[in-house]
Amino acid sequence: MAQEPKDVLVRMHEDLQRALEKAPEDRRWVMVIDLRKCVGCHACTIACVAENKLPPGVVYRPVVEHERGMYPNVTRSFLPRPCMQCDNPPCTSVCPVTATYKNEEGVVAVDYEQCIGCRACIVACPYGARTSDFGYTYTEDLPVLNGVIVGRETADDYERAASYEYGKEWPRAGHRSSPIGNARKCHFCLHRVKDGELPACVSTCIGRATLYGDANDPDSLVAEMVNLPNVLRLKEELGTEPRVYYLV
Amino acid sequence: MAKKEETKTVSPAKKIFDFKSMTMAEKSVIVVGAVAFLLGVWGLYTRLFVGEREVGYGSYVVWGLWVSMYLFLAGVATGSYMLAALEYLFNVPMFKGTGKAALWAGLVTMPAALASIGMDLGHMERIIKVYLQPNFFSLLAQMVWGYTIFLAIVAVTLWLAFKRKDDQPIRGFFKFVLWVGFFMAIFLSGGVGALLGVNASRPYWSVGLLSVQFPIFAFASGISLMLIVVGWFMHFKDEDQRYRLFRWLGWVAIALSFTKIYILWAYLSQAWYSQVPDVMVPLNEILFGQYWWSFWIIQIAIGTVIPLILHMTPKLAHNNFWAGAIGVMVLVGFAAARANIVFPAMSVELLDGLPDAFFGPHLNILYFPSALEWSVTLGVLGAAVLAFVLGAEFLAVFNKPKTEVK
Repeated sequence: MAQEPKDVLVRMHEDLQRALEKAPEDRRWVMVIDLRKCVGCHACTIACVAENKLPPGVVYRPVVEHERGMYPNVTRSFLPRPCMQCDNPPCTSVCPVTATYKNEEGVVAVDYEQCIGCRACIVACPYGARTSDFGYTYTEDLPVLNGVIVGRETADDYERAASYEYGKEWPRAGHRSSPIGNARKCHFCLHRVKDGELPACVSTCIGRATLYGDANDPDSLVAEMVNLPNVLRLKEELGTEPRVYYLV
Repeated sequence: MAKKEETKTVSPAKKIFDFKSMTMAEKSVIVVGAVAFLLGVWGLYTRLFVGEREVGYGSYVVWGLWVSMYLFLAGVATGSYMLAALEYLFNVPMFKGTGKAALWAGLVTMPAALASIGMDLGHMERIIKVYLQPNFFSLLAQMVWGYTIFLAIVAVTLWLAFKRKDDQPIRGFFKFVLWVGFFMAIFLSGGVGALLGVNASRPYWSVGLLSVQFPIFAFASGISLMLIVVGWFMHFKDEDQRYRLFRWLGWVAIALSFTKIYILWAYLSQAWYSQVPDVMVPLNEILFGQYWWSFWIIQIAIGTVIPLILHMTPKLAHNNFWAGAIGVMVLVGFAAARANIVFPAMSVELLDGLPDAFFGPHLNILYFPSALEWSVTLGVLGAAVLAFVLGAEFLAVFNKPKTEVK
């Protein structure tokens, strides 16, 4: 009897477990996004917002949409854009206090408590992959009617509860408490990966279009994908060596 | 009883501010500075105690009015030092007596520049980290350290200038400090241009000549400030020196205006003929788009052409009021020029369609400074103007004879 092919999520989980047994510096986390499978549902964007409790104006993984052609030859295409986790990141060298850096696993991270909020990294990123946190909450202007609507207070509590980026608690307090005032970016959900979970955008993708894993593991799914001939990376001419690959 | 006037020099420490004894120009500038500062109180309070939410810049147009003003004021500070070097280091007789005013201008405008950039920081209270844990590969860190050292050098130079007796030759430590300060003024004024130019992601800033033009513009800013000082504030024993200075400053200003026009032409035409889309977008914004008025009216007409015509009209160029007015116009033009370098370069979509991919506050490529940004800028400029005039009065850098009525 022929063996049923594994769901890619199951396979990526297995790949992840193997990668976590290695020393961090031996892993090479990459993301592969199959643009042919992306249906533009924006579930990855929303999952990311929920996972990292992103406030208004902060986005790690928007999906850029394009509509091409004229009726009847019209198509739409979608380009999810996480941080490229470049191997030569232009954003790290401009930071005056080394608050943003490539960690031992090759992911570009931000030390929120070190960041002074100069936004030089946002200027330097050629992919627009960083946004600044100006301290908003989604629920702040919602009405409250005592005894009838409890929406804002309940939701507000949820929004102000801590996120767990980089494995630390980040409650949203006043305008001087990080990550408010900081540059923020996708970090491949390091806090989830550390615990053996895939990044939120990968788990949520309804088309299995976003893949994640250790490209240094020859048996991993992503290692197969990054060597396909139909792979491209954004703005390769800049020499940034992105770790996000697109299948086209 | 007959009034008897006598001229007497009073030590700075004993001086008090006497509004009545000030000239009309001083009073007017103080009033303008005070009004600007008062208009800035709301902005300064909001920025310091409420936060950064009311600003117009964001995650796509990342730097706005405050960064532009930082570039402008830092240029004035470094240019002022270059001018002071003309008296003390290069011993140009024409500039005798102007060095202290130039140094004082540098000492006031540099903190104003740092205040302006400080307001732009999401966590300004963490600026200390740049001193304690700097990444010296970052130009920003180099600039912060450079400005701090420069500020100390300006202060020491001014102190040495006060200590020096008239006509005492400058040598030894004073000369060493002047050389260091002079080179730092050139390095720092060019450095702010390089701060932008190193961003390969913004092709408009990568056009050649960007950082090269900054030291020249800084010197021109210093010349313009000196026109204001000589025209409106400075006192000379020999009025001929004022007119000689007007003539000399005028010629330098004319030469710098032509240099400025040439560099601007070289920069913009090179950008234009490249036809690189990411360069053309900001260029179109500047020449024909949302910033056209800032470029054509403020930078070119008010900041360059009209001052050039006035400079070439001796009757006006040698008039105290108009000489100062020329200086103001050129400085306003330089402030607009900085803005025209900073904002438009960021009006480019880094990925086609990115600004429409997600909506939220501060996710826009159209930028115009908000009321908060204008207010803070007025506050910083007002404070700088007040500090400059009142401090100059206190330190007697305008060579004003103290007149007492008995």
